Amino acid sequence: MYLLEHDAKTLLAERGIPVPAGCLVEAGGKLDERTLPPGPWIVKGQIAAGGRGKAGIIKKAATGAEARDLASAMLGRTVREKRVEAVRIEQQVAGAEEAYIGLILDAAAGGVRVIVSERGGVDVEALPRDAIRSETVLPQREALLAAVERLVAGMAPHKAAALRGAAAGLAALFLEGEALLIEVNPLFVRPDGTWVAGDAKMVTDDSALERQPGQRELLAARAKAYTEAALKHDHGFDYVVVDPEGEIGLLTTGAGLSMMLIDELRAAGLKPFNFLDIRTGGLRGETTRLVKVLQWIGEAPRVRVVLINIFAGITELGEFSKLLVSAIAQAPALKVPVVARLVGNGLPAAQAVLSEAGIALHTDLDAALADVRGHLS
Amino acid sequence: MIGPRIDRTTPVIVQGMTGRAGRLHTRLMREYGTNIVAGVSPKSENREVDGIPIFADCRRAVEATGATTCVAFVGAYDLLQAMEDAIGGGVRYVVTPTEGMPVHDALRVKRLMADVGATWVGASTPGMAVAGEAKLGFLPNDALLPGGLGLMSKSGTLSYESGYRLAQHGIGTSVWVGVGGDPVKGVRYADLVPFFAADERTRGVLVIGEIGGHEEEDFAAALTAQKFSKPVFALIAGRTAPSGVAMGHAGALVHGSHGTFEAKRTALEAAGVTVFDTLNAMVEGIASRI
Repeated sequence: MYLLEHDAKTLLAERGIPVPAGCLVEAGGKLDERTLPPGPWIVKGQIAAGGRGKAGIIKKAATGAEARDLASAMLGRTVREKRVEAVRIEQQVAGAEEAYIGLILDAAAGGVRVIVSERGGVDVEALPRDAIRSETVLPQREALLAAVERLVAGMAPHKAAALRGAAAGLAALFLEGEALLIEVNPLFVRPDGTWVAGDAKMVTDDSALERQPGQRELLAARAKAYTEAALKHDHGFDYVVVDPEGEIGLLTTGAGLSMMLIDELRAAGLKPFNFLDIRTGGLRGETTRLVKVLQWIGEAPRVRVVLINIFAGITELGEFSKLLVSAIAQAPALKVPVVARLVGNGLPAAQAVLSEAGIALHTDLDAALADVRGHLS
Repeated sequence: MIGPRIDRTTPVIVQGMTGRAGRLHTRLMREYGTNIVAGVSPKSENREVDGIPIFADCRRAVEATGATTCVAFVGAYDLLQAMEDAIGGGVRYVVTPTEGMPVHDALRVKRLMADVGATWVGASTPGMAVAGEAKLGFLPNDALLPGGLGLMSKSGTLSYESGYRLAQHGIGTSVWVGVGGDPVKGVRYADLVPFFAADERTRGVLVIGEIGGHEEEDFAAALTAQKFSKPVFALIAGRTAPSGVAMGHAGALVHGSHGTFEAKRTALEAAGVTVFDTLNAMVEGIASRI
């Protein structure tokens, strides 16, 4: 889960990492000026993506009225395919220099890459190579701190002190919060060595959510900002709308095959609506997941046909087909034709069930696609 | 060098054998030909399942049977402990189909495996198989035709579809390893390059990849370093996936210019790999070369 800056800063602050005083204004809510910290302010649109400054959702405000107007102008805007549902208004940090610190999972090495720089504020990848120092170490507190100690050697003393100070809190948060990435950029450093996290980016592990109550609370509080993670947490499967204008609803299982099918449909000039890894192995004889997905697809404005593509290694296709027919009956929003392509275990039984329900069944994917095209033309 | 090849005589332990999935897949693996000699279940009262003895931990299972290969059918939050039990008990080849293993647990296991020189396949994998001999996990039989193609895949389903279509064209596999879709994992594509280079029954290699991470790029570099001379083919899923959203697999995530389809295609082609755009093109392309 790629946390909103506000949520990441909340977790940082809980670890004693200083962040600028600020408050959150959510869409539909009003700014209570009494909650504002002393100005001047910086008004920051909250989306789980980088490049917010360039996209015009990070702006300075000198008066309370200006902050309020900027916030209302940002709320509801769509930036980088994401809707701004909240705005953080925080105190500007004046008279400070900028540095960078990041802890990033190094999946290949099985460690954590520690990155620091005396320069911050811009995209760290845009910095010249010699301005960045990094080391990959074991995911252990002592190892992370020792790495930072080595990396800051020779830096200006106030910057080295700030990076060391920030590293202690960030390492604890990274390990105990089971993060995949934490980046503070810029880290504001004052001449006296005191410092504050100007921005915060944090990516957490969805697979660890059950044992991270703090992260679960964030998810529950802002399900709209974390659509995919909320869905996976609540329903146990992956579903992503890849094109709100899409014409083909997909009922598929398996991440790789579902992605490949979307690629191939698009290459053929067709418009898939969604990605889905329903996990047929997890249905356990219940229609709940299927009904949910068929309802969502049925509610999509442009969907004109549903394509089912299941390669059953273990799943019994006869059982699956019975669930499917029952789920279609329970999904009143679904009014478009259904084309099924099934391969594997229990195909003859599936054939009998689907033909009785009037659903076209193919074993060849190309034949199923020809059928889909027929429904679209 | 990692040697994933097993055969019908390789003795295998199943962790979690008394659970729903463990019981089912033990039966299916045995029907395929896998020599399952022991089960491990710390809490079970059962002493045996279908004639296979059940032990409380891996150490006892290893001592009693001599098996050092295991498949773990345990839940995501229990996997770390199960793998510590396996490695501590003397197991040296572990396959873990479990989906959703916490990443920080995977980091610990990776370190543990490296310390003792054990091989780990997974997590989030359908397993591995030597067609016609034995399988660890649940790769579908319909896709397992003995042959000369080494196959590695992050995705289960896309590899089933590929293996099935290739089998229909008479192209079988030598060793098939599902490396899994998690970011932190055991065996990666690059780790198997020396094995496939040396394996006499492998005449070519198919890599089924997907967006995210840089495993495909590392594989390309390993091919070049190895001066790999057999034909290598690749199919990469997720070319049109949106940026910043994990597509089902935790590892299948594009951030900015990292992990993109184009980056992978460029690296693979530079290493002499034939990259296909569609399943049909992949099957026809491989059929014409192998």
